[in-house]
Amino acid sequence: MKPARLSVAPLEVEEPDLEEVVVTERPWIVIVWNDPVNLMSYVVYVLQKLFGYSRQKATRLMLQVHHEGKAAVSEGTREKAEADVARLHAHGLWATMEHPS
Amino acid sequence: MPKRFKRRGDGVVVALPAAEIEILRSIPAQLGEVLSESPDTDDPVFRRLFPTAYLDPTQEVAEREWQDLVHPELLRQRLAALELVTQTLERGVEKRGSIEVVLTPEEVEAWLGVINDARLALGTRLGVTEDLDEREIDPSEPDAGAHTLYAWLTWMEGELVETLLG
Repeated sequence: MKPARLSVAPLEVEEPDLEEVVVTERPWIVIVWNDPVNLMSYVVYVLQKLFGYSRQKATRLMLQVHHEGKAAVSEGTREKAEADVARLHAHGLWATMEHPS
Repeated sequence: MPKRFKRRGDGVVVALPAAEIEILRSIPAQLGEVLSESPDTDDPVFRRLFPTAYLDPTQEVAEREWQDLVHPELLRQRLAALELVTQTLERGVEKRGSIEVVLTPEEVEAWLGVINDARLALGTRLGVTEDLDEREIDPSEPDAGAHTLYAWLTWMEGELVETLLG
């Protein structure tokens, strides 16, 4: 089937603003910050439990938090990031979310 | 020192001296008090247990909406964990000089959460730093008892996490 021709006038096609598309699709990042209380082993346990990461990946992220002060542990839509931050807070980790510009 | 925690199936068996059971029993009341403060409080302990989600100050509205949505649930979970830990401590059985408590996986998570929250609260109040362990605590310090409790909770949590990570 052929689509019906709705108009004979030249169609005004709105050029998609690529910049904007990229901006809206850029994921939110969930950051875990270093703190002096949480045990390194506990952080590994929580990252494995909440995100299903392997021991190796959870350990790498924990060490990044420990040495660099923070690490991005997950990303996604604003809703997903908000839910992940809530779950991390429920487990006592110091987490925030941000939208990198 | 005998191991405090042992895996049994999906759960964990805890064996503690009676004195340690008593210390654990005192924690829910103390924590419950901090947890139930008004969300507007500037108590640093409360702020550590319920941090902000957004660092960006321009996200103030999103932050407030997120807090309104999430805080009651986070509070409910924490209070439920305190309740669960208290219940498990009631059913300890004396065995070979220790009090033994058999924990289901859900109860293990409650124990871990309460011990960690207690450390966060105590650690924030005491202003601990990462290398506090290196420092000797002078028993005549006014906070010496709290430091001892913190060190014990740290050790307990380490043992429990090691048991869970296998």
